Amino acid sequence: MTLPPDPRTHLASGTTRAVLRIQHRILDTVRAHLTGLGFTELLPPIIGPVTDPGARGAKQVDVDYYGHRYKLMTSAILYKQAALFAFDKIFFIAPNIRLEPLETARTGRHLAEFHQIDVEVAGASRSDILELLESLISRVIEQTLHAEAAALGELGRDTAALGKALLSPFGRRTHGEAVDRLRQRGHDQSSDAEIDWQGEVLLAAEAEQPFLITDYPKGSRGFYDRESEQLPGFLRNFDLIAPEGYGELCSGSERENDYRKIVTRIRETGENPAKYEWYLKAAREGIPASAGFGIGLERLTRYIAGLDSVWQASAYPKVPGVPSP
Amino acid sequence: MTGKLTAAGFPEGLVRARARSGPAAALPALEDYALAMFGGSDTLSRETAHDMMDTLRLVPPILMPRRLEKLIDLGREPLYTDVALDTGVGGFNSPLPLVISALGSTNLAGGHIGNAVARQAGRRGVPMVIGENVVPSSGYGRLGDADHRSLRTRISAYCAELPDGLGGVAVQQSTEDADAEVWNLVYSDPTTLPLLESGRLAFELKLGQGAKPGLGGMSVVDAPDGAATEGQFTVDPVFGTGTSRMLRSATPGTFTQEILHRQIILMRNNFPRARIWVKLPPGRDIATAAGIAWAAGADAVTIDGAEAGTGWAPLSFMDHVGLPLAECLMRIAPGDACCIASGRMWEGTRAVKALALGARAVGLGRAAFLAADEDPERGLLNLLDCCAFEMRLLLSALGKYTVAEVGREDLWGLPPAAAPVSTPANPQPIRTIDSEETP
Repeated sequence: MTLPPDPRTHLASGTTRAVLRIQHRILDTVRAHLTGLGFTELLPPIIGPVTDPGARGAKQVDVDYYGHRYKLMTSAILYKQAALFAFDKIFFIAPNIRLEPLETARTGRHLAEFHQIDVEVAGASRSDILELLESLISRVIEQTLHAEAAALGELGRDTAALGKALLSPFGRRTHGEAVDRLRQRGHDQSSDAEIDWQGEVLLAAEAEQPFLITDYPKGSRGFYDRESEQLPGFLRNFDLIAPEGYGELCSGSERENDYRKIVTRIRETGENPAKYEWYLKAAREGIPASAGFGIGLERLTRYIAGLDSVWQASAYPKVPGVPSP
Repeated sequence: MTGKLTAAGFPEGLVRARARSGPAAALPALEDYALAMFGGSDTLSRETAHDMMDTLRLVPPILMPRRLEKLIDLGREPLYTDVALDTGVGGFNSPLPLVISALGSTNLAGGHIGNAVARQAGRRGVPMVIGENVVPSSGYGRLGDADHRSLRTRISAYCAELPDGLGGVAVQQSTEDADAEVWNLVYSDPTTLPLLESGRLAFELKLGQGAKPGLGGMSVVDAPDGAATEGQFTVDPVFGTGTSRMLRSATPGTFTQEILHRQIILMRNNFPRARIWVKLPPGRDIATAAGIAWAAGADAVTIDGAEAGTGWAPLSFMDHVGLPLAECLMRIAPGDACCIASGRMWEGTRAVKALALGARAVGLGRAAFLAADEDPERGLLNLLDCCAFEMRLLLSALGKYTVAEVGREDLWGLPPAAAPVSTPANPQPIRTIDSEETP
């Protein structure tokens, strides 16, 4: 696994320029597509008393905020829900900081600093939000193939393979089915946990099109993913997996908005609910039901541009554990 | 630097003697040899308060099929030196069925004694638990807060001495520690990478403690320190206006069956390369809680009996609250699951009795810290060597040569419901043989 060179070498390289042009096109398309559907873009917060606890194994960054322990956002999920007090359909292009476990430096898919296309829709169900996700990803691929053919060519991207994403609706399988498939292939995947990084790569390498994994077990995600009433112990959530071995691009869910359930679920994640004071106050007074997702921008760029490593999709890459400018 | 710690209600003098003399302290004084007569003494227990564990006796049989097995294996008569004490504990390999326990949220474990314990535990390759609110109280030690009390310093001291393939560190996290994200911090830190990569890092979910089941950690703080942590802990001026000292209480955390189950699943999901340990207080539903922990995939469950703890607990709790360790062990049925028993452990007999009641290993808390306080270089090593010497003597007397072979048939004084039965509940071949010896 290569590591980023110095900033001048990285930024001046033709490869980086092609990648960043593609990334710009992705952002441009996302904004146009969502705006066209009536979404409002908000600027996300950077610090707060709490952030998303659902980032597996990663450490949050503490900030001394006038003597209070604040956090840099690992994701703005809680603020996305709060944003629905203002608008029914919102999105952020949000910076996130996660001090990922050191082993992730070798996955090619993790950055300590990255950006997320964060979308939330009041009153939406999982099928509503999946429809939106699929239309958004398809639109982005279509536009990039059309408008960035030169950059994709410069990078040697197999555009025929990328184009297959547009041929039919994204496939779906449940977490349980994904676990079974991995075990068939001799991969020791826990049925209680998220699909591990190696498992995601194995499943992604078998696929020609992006596909969805749904119904993750409770205990593998943050407290804000709603538990299924029909299938207790399983969540109304999903991941989008990119084909050709690229792996996870996006996580999302219907959100829990029942105050009692939120408090109980916070305890199930081992945390002190007192930390979430502002959020719980809002939830007690009534937070809109919603569904949403967050797409890793650099991961999406990596997939579309066909890059070996996700750091190539960042102008200022921070590989976990590696001191970088 | 030494001799400052005290432990009322604990056989401090005997522990300190062991820290000085090692295995020799397990025998009568050398100068009495050939002069004094012995028999029926209560030397070991007279400094200790009697509890249910103390009233049990280890009862060697006369007829010993297991000894015959060992004789055949060795081709000669076995001796106590042939007893193997190594065992698997919560995913780690330990040369002894012993674990160094965390020492509550007082300041006792901070600083040089904590590091002396870590160094010596590491040298012997015995697993060590670190808790004590080290991170919230003393920092982690990565950015400028690197002092001798930090968690990182303790882990480094342990690892610097650790032989290959042995031992491991279990880092505890209570509800308050969760605010400091202790586990996430440790999991992503370069210092702990060698432990993680060799499978020798565990995270211990703490549900409570023996000294005060149902309550969270308690410590005494000066008013300014108390004010600094007021958002995180409850600070109560119970000592009156004549002092700046105040009682600081942590929350015990709320658990239900579902919450416990899910927290363990979440730990496994978030820290797939770490072992998962769970520490339980001596509650009346301990069998249910332990069963949930094992079923959810915990590698070890530590049972902290009511006799455990640093002693910093309300007096009423120390005398009247929580199940005694022996009762806890009788209520649960670890089977092949790993159970670590703690509660006033300091010598071999209590340890072997706990093993006979189903524990895989026992935790040394106060004893380890007193020993390191007595001699920061060798005190704990001597104590461990003395414990090992006694356990070898005891196991060989029982006609058993590995720790897994000890069972309830080796105990006398159990209530009828907990006594071994002639038809073994556990169908392990070794237990089947032993059950024939049941008196």
